[in-house]
Amino acid sequence: MTFRTRLLLVFTVAVVASVALVEWLVTDSTRQAFERMEAQRANGLVAQFRKEFAERGQRIVRAVNGIAASEAAVNIAISADDSPYYNEAASLASAHGLGLLELVAGDGTIVSSAEWPARFGYQEDWLREPADWESRGAFLRREELPDGVTLSLVAVGTASAGGRKLYVAGGQQLDREFLSSLLLPEGMRVLLYRNLEPGFSPAELVGGQAEDVPRVRPLIEQVQQRKRAIARTLGTGASAETFHALPLTGYQEDLLGVLLISSSRRELVELESVLRRTGMGVAAAGILLGIALSWWATARVTRPVLRLAESAARVAAGDWGATVESPSAGEIGQLARAFNRMTHELVAQRERLVQAERVAAWRELARRLAHELKNPLFPLQITVENMQRARERYPEQFEEVFREGAATLLAELANLKQIVGRFSDFAKMPAPEMQPVSFNELVSETLKLFEPQLAQARVRANAALDPRLRPVQADPEQMTRVLRNLILNAIDAMPEGGTLTVRTSALEGGVRLEVSDTGQGLTPEECGRLFTPYYTTKAHGTGLGLAIVQSVVSDHHGRISVESAPGKGATFRIDLA
Amino acid sequence: MRLMSSPWFAVRNLALAALAVATAAAATRPHYGGTLHVEIRQSFETPDPPTTGYGMPDLARAFAITSWEAGRRAVYAADENATGGRPYLDTVEIEMARPLRDQSVDLELGKTDVVELGPSELRRQPAGRKVWLSAPVRLVALVFAPRVEDVRIREALALAVDRAAIHNVLLQRQGEVSAALLPQWLSGYAFLFSAAADPARARTLVAGLPAAVRAISLGVEDAAARPIAERIALNARDAGLAVSVVPQGAGADARLVEVRIGSLDPALALAGVAVSLGLPEPPRAASPEPLYAAERALLEGFRVIPLFHLPDVYGVNPRVKGRPGITPLGEWRFESLWVEGGRP
Repeated sequence: MTFRTRLLLVFTVAVVASVALVEWLVTDSTRQAFERMEAQRANGLVAQFRKEFAERGQRIVRAVNGIAASEAAVNIAISADDSPYYNEAASLASAHGLGLLELVAGDGTIVSSAEWPARFGYQEDWLREPADWESRGAFLRREELPDGVTLSLVAVGTASAGGRKLYVAGGQQLDREFLSSLLLPEGMRVLLYRNLEPGFSPAELVGGQAEDVPRVRPLIEQVQQRKRAIARTLGTGASAETFHALPLTGYQEDLLGVLLISSSRRELVELESVLRRTGMGVAAAGILLGIALSWWATARVTRPVLRLAESAARVAAGDWGATVESPSAGEIGQLARAFNRMTHELVAQRERLVQAERVAAWRELARRLAHELKNPLFPLQITVENMQRARERYPEQFEEVFREGAATLLAELANLKQIVGRFSDFAKMPAPEMQPVSFNELVSETLKLFEPQLAQARVRANAALDPRLRPVQADPEQMTRVLRNLILNAIDAMPEGGTLTVRTSALEGGVRLEVSDTGQGLTPEECGRLFTPYYTTKAHGTGLGLAIVQSVVSDHHGRISVESAPGKGATFRIDLA
Repeated sequence: MRLMSSPWFAVRNLALAALAVATAAAATRPHYGGTLHVEIRQSFETPDPPTTGYGMPDLARAFAITSWEAGRRAVYAADENATGGRPYLDTVEIEMARPLRDQSVDLELGKTDVVELGPSELRRQPAGRKVWLSAPVRLVALVFAPRVEDVRIREALALAVDRAAIHNVLLQRQGEVSAALLPQWLSGYAFLFSAAADPARARTLVAGLPAAVRAISLGVEDAAARPIAERIALNARDAGLAVSVVPQGAGADARLVEVRIGSLDPALALAGVAVSLGLPEPPRAASPEPLYAAERALLEGFRVIPLFHLPDVYGVNPRVKGRPGITPLGEWRFESLWVEGGRP
């Protein structure tokens, strides 16, 4: 991963995190604000409904008081015989818009009942309890009807005349019709649970739908237990509703019902959804903009670094004079200037090093030349001095001494010529002329040339040639020279004789050539310096043989290595691709 | 028991004497003419006018049918050759299927001359209203279907009904409370059948019975009788029975029926009532004791629960003159009536 990518990634993460945090904070605070507004709205709706409910109660009170104050009620109250009036309640209820009406004599006997006409003569003892019915207003009551028990909102009025009293108990059933007649604000609905049986009975839920039962049941049960108002939000998403569950108590403070005022959260949810979508859109745009700016910023920041990296790569590739621009005075500019100083210093040091190495090489060459030339010069000097001494002191022996001295001089001169030839060969190493070469044949022919020399050195030659080997592009002359040098090296490494093994093996698209001896072997330090020019472990070596071998192998884009340990011989391995 | 000295014989003799006097008076009255307008609740849907029963069939004694619109209207003209002489009235126009309330209004407005009055309508009549009242000749009773086999259910319902409350309020004290088939004025022993409610005993009877057995449907023949049925259902509820009021013809477990006493002879009347109620015909009884025993036997299994005996009540326009147009048994006797403003 590039520096720019990493920087862009960091910037992107930072931008995304920042935008997400801001988006969350804004959304959350907005949602809380809307929740507060929704709660206020719901409370307003509940208050409005309470007012409507109270208004209905007042209407019932007015109707009941109107009946109680009517002439008909007074007539019934003062009548000694109630029987003619058993059907009066129905007409009075109809005239005053009441669903329920009972006219009850002062002794608690029902004179007439609109909701259950057959109940005349039955007792309504609860009316005779000491109570100020006029000031009580409307209240809830459990009402028995022919088709079952119901919940009603009733008021009680009294008509008194001639020392006789008539109770007028009238009201409305709290049923689906009553609920639907209430003026409800938009998005609001009302459910009523009639708490007429122990426990929870789904049939007593009025105004709702079948799917409401499992939703509101826990709420109703909580109100049944705690007998106080509870507000809960039920459901999820746009179908969620906030329910205000209000306990409805009778005149004896017994829990007769639970009024569930539901306020739909659809509007709030949709508003929140719009806000969320807008927020996400803004956040996405912000993130994209942030990423684009990050892209631009990272490009701007990493451009000098990239130039530095390119320059460093050029330096690594050998272009020591590579420099970078230092566009600014910041850290990157300082780094660029330091880099430029570093490359200038490197160039200078390299030149100094090359010069030093060149001097060292000349010195080494001079030392080697002096060493190599000194050895044959000394016999030359001795031979010439012997010849001079013989001519002066032993003229009769001069002829013989001259003959022997001339032979020695010729031999040493030949040795000098050989030394000079080797240096000359190393100096003028030609470029390889590539052609298909069969290394198996090359090894066989070379070993055949060395047979007398191997026999003389008591070295047994062993060729392990891979028959699968195919011709490889190489310069046959130079590769023969490489093999000869390695064989000579091996012979020199085995002064007491031994075994020379030359092995070929096929590589993928190439060849491996191994030359092993059973000589004294090399130390690791010797192995490390073995291919250094003019380095030798032999008394009379020039130190150029293996340097030439390495040079040829390098010219063939191959690789040479040595494996050896003291006392275990050595193996030179050449891989050509 | 000495029933021969009971009020039964006294009332019967009185009714027979009144009938004889009225018949004699009709034969000697002057002829004034005119049309008598009558409204009734009943609707005869037959192609021809009814010839049996009470009411319109009674007119055949002195009038002849001249116009018949089934279910709506009938016109009878005076029969010049009627036994006892031609009636004072020229015609009698009868309008059928008129609700009691509408009849009462029509009478109030002077649009008709004779109307039927229910208990509520009777109460609303102005003071001095001319009213014809028969003896209590209409038996109101509960009749159980054969499938209600458990006698405890039937007896419990008989004990549960608060006849007095119904009589006082719904019937406005018309007629009389009764637990007998024949009215007291006819039999003289009706008081021996206890009509008192005993809801506690009724509850005891049905306690432990399955709810399905305690559920009874009560059919009502006449919509006007529905309040009575509703009250019976309420009484039954207090006794632990679940009585639901249903329209007649729905195969109810019990029916609230009305049967007329058809004879001034108690034995014949009992036989007629028994047949009408689907009871076995009682043996002919020449004296009150076997008649009582026969009636007791008929009521033994609570298949029939007598509730009330009600009279026929008619409101009459003041312009209608003459003796009452009905007999103690509720039979129409319009031949002795005349109307003011009629043809001289």
